[in-house]
Amino acid sequence: MKNRVIGWIDQRFPLSSFVKHDLTEYPTPRNLSYWWNFGFLAGFVLVLQVATGIFLAMHYRADASLSFDSVQHIMRDVNYGWLLRFMHATGASAFFMVIYIHMARTLYYGSYRAPRELMWWTGQGLLLMLMATAFMGYLLPWGQMSYWGATVITNLFKVTPYFGDQIVTWLRGDYSVSDATLTRFFSLHYLLPFLIIGGVVVHLVALHTVKSSNPSGIDLAARDNIPFHPYFTSKDLFGLGIFLIVYCIFVFFFPNMLMDPANFIPANPMQTPAEIVPEWYFLPFYAILRSVPNMVGGVVAMGLSVMMFAFMPFLDRSRIPGGASNRPMVKLGFYLFIINMLVLGYVGAHPVSERTLLIGHIATIFYFGSFFLIPFISKAEERWLIKRGLSPELKELMEREAREKTQSQARRRSGDTK
Amino acid sequence: MKKFIVLLILCCASSQVWPEEATLQNIKVDTDLPAIERGMDDLMNNCHACHSLKYISYLDLLKLGIDKKKVDFMRGDQPLAAPLTGMLSDEAAMQMFGLVPPDLSLMTKAREGGPSYVYSYLLGYYNTPDGVTHNRIFPATKMPDPLGISTATDPAKREELKKTAHDIVSFLAWASDPHSAERHRLGYYVIGYLLFLTALLYAVKNRIWAGLKKH
Ligand code: HEC
Repeated sequence: MKNRVIGWIDQRFPLSSFVKHDLTEYPTPRNLSYWWNFGFLAGFVLVLQVATGIFLAMHYRADASLSFDSVQHIMRDVNYGWLLRFMHATGASAFFMVIYIHMARTLYYGSYRAPRELMWWTGQGLLLMLMATAFMGYLLPWGQMSYWGATVITNLFKVTPYFGDQIVTWLRGDYSVSDATLTRFFSLHYLLPFLIIGGVVVHLVALHTVKSSNPSGIDLAARDNIPFHPYFTSKDLFGLGIFLIVYCIFVFFFPNMLMDPANFIPANPMQTPAEIVPEWYFLPFYAILRSVPNMVGGVVAMGLSVMMFAFMPFLDRSRIPGGASNRPMVKLGFYLFIINMLVLGYVGAHPVSERTLLIGHIATIFYFGSFFLIPFISKAEERWLIKRGLSPELKELMEREAREKTQSQARRRSGDTK
Repeated sequence: MKKFIVLLILCCASSQVWPEEATLQNIKVDTDLPAIERGMDDLMNNCHACHSLKYISYLDLLKLGIDKKKVDFMRGDQPLAAPLTGMLSDEAAMQMFGLVPPDLSLMTKAREGGPSYVYSYLLGYYNTPDGVTHNRIFPATKMPDPLGISTATDPAKREELKKTAHDIVSFLAWASDPHSAERHRLGYYVIGYLLFLTALLYAVKNRIWAGLKKH
């Protein structure tokens, strides 16, 4: 019976071949480490956020005079409402944590390099959508930090030439953050995750075209690939278990740790909180915004700081394949970059003072400097490594790549389009 | 680069140099019912005249485990689902203080320092030699010393007031998050289950991968 149903479907829809091609027999490098779990985990958290969000939306009121109360209603009166809300709020942080680790892995192992540029760029688009979703979601509880955070960030669009004020009003739907802002943010906060799901599909189609990178940075021969199932289904599920333990410790025991006290006070347009601090996942970028003395410059720098990642495939000019595992300078640069990110996060979390300003300036320069220097460093490193002597495996791969390149150029010259 | 590292070390070492607000007395709230109930009684006597607890209803008190007779006595002819609104009207409060005293339901979450803040604030009143009452935690506060700590000189009385404040804060901490006890209880089961499940998944994964290595 089962086979007949599947057979019936297969004549009309590529079900079996899809499952075989993209799941059960999808070839995966056998040497993937646990750092390759985080893509799957990101997908899992996305589903978790959508699921909890849908149920929260059944009890939440997007109305400036009701929002704050409706969140307390969820927390106190709705059956397991507190669980839904804490899962969703903690889930936002978990999402960024997982995505940042996923990006760090890509940077470390050079997985953004050819032929995976489109994966990196679709990932960049997903990051932007995730940030927008989180930012809009943060307005919904309608606490003091929600209100003033949204005010500060929408206000940044004032720097748009000619239409600054109009754009700010257009985004808010009013002259200040108000009920109109809340309802549109709610609407978009519900919409964007579905666009993200669409983006994830594109991301995965690209992945299944170019296949996974791996720690060696060298594309492995077919004999080194193993089917995704059962090897990586089992490995990913074990990773998921670890993730869930950490996540649930936060949900059940420290759910308020990442909540700002000011957000337990209902929004009050007449009273600015002592300090406006964004959520931890925006802190480094917020620090860059504040480190540039001029507002236009600050906004441009902040926008650029998020977008810098997209340039990586152009900036990294080395002919040595892979990332940090083959390239000591990349490794050193990677760790310095991570430390610098933490320093920026520290600066973003603290009020402006002479000292944080100084550290912020240095860390901002270092942030952009580390991107701009990559072309030179990667070239210098390449020369140095070649002089020092490469491992035979690497050499063979590089020669093969060079051969393929000249061949394709020759084909193009002779007018053969294949 | 070296300079950068030196700077990093410097900023970690000098965190204390930052202007600190008046230091709080750090406390751990009680979560047992007798303490919370004492806190409720003290709050009803000392604070309810001015402050509301609008997210807490008489029904919540029943669910907490307060005696039905006592709750019925407290609510008078109000329905069970009625919230603990303050007894002071907004207009009267505006006239007396120039502002409406804040609702206390979320108070232990709405301030940096949480329960320790509220505790230190309640006990932070003192009299200057010329007889003016101040608060060392919130110098500009418009709330008159509700427990009378500023005039209490007898050490035994001061100890008693500290205990009262501690109980009140324990009640407020419960009120800010009534499901926290349930959450912790459930949390142990969930984590326990996940540990077991993850250990199994690890074994499964190893079993599957062991087959691979033979080839
Ligand atoms: C006579 C009326 C009155 C009584 C009784 C009273 N309060 Fe207040 N309370 C106020 C007013 C007014 C404010 C606002 C103070 C301000 O913002 O300046 C306030 C503010 C507070 C705050 C917030 C302080 C802050 O950081 O903004 C807390 C906490 C508080 N009261 C707790 C209590 C507790 C606990 C009790 C009972 C022991 C109590 N109050 C009794 C009038 C009162």
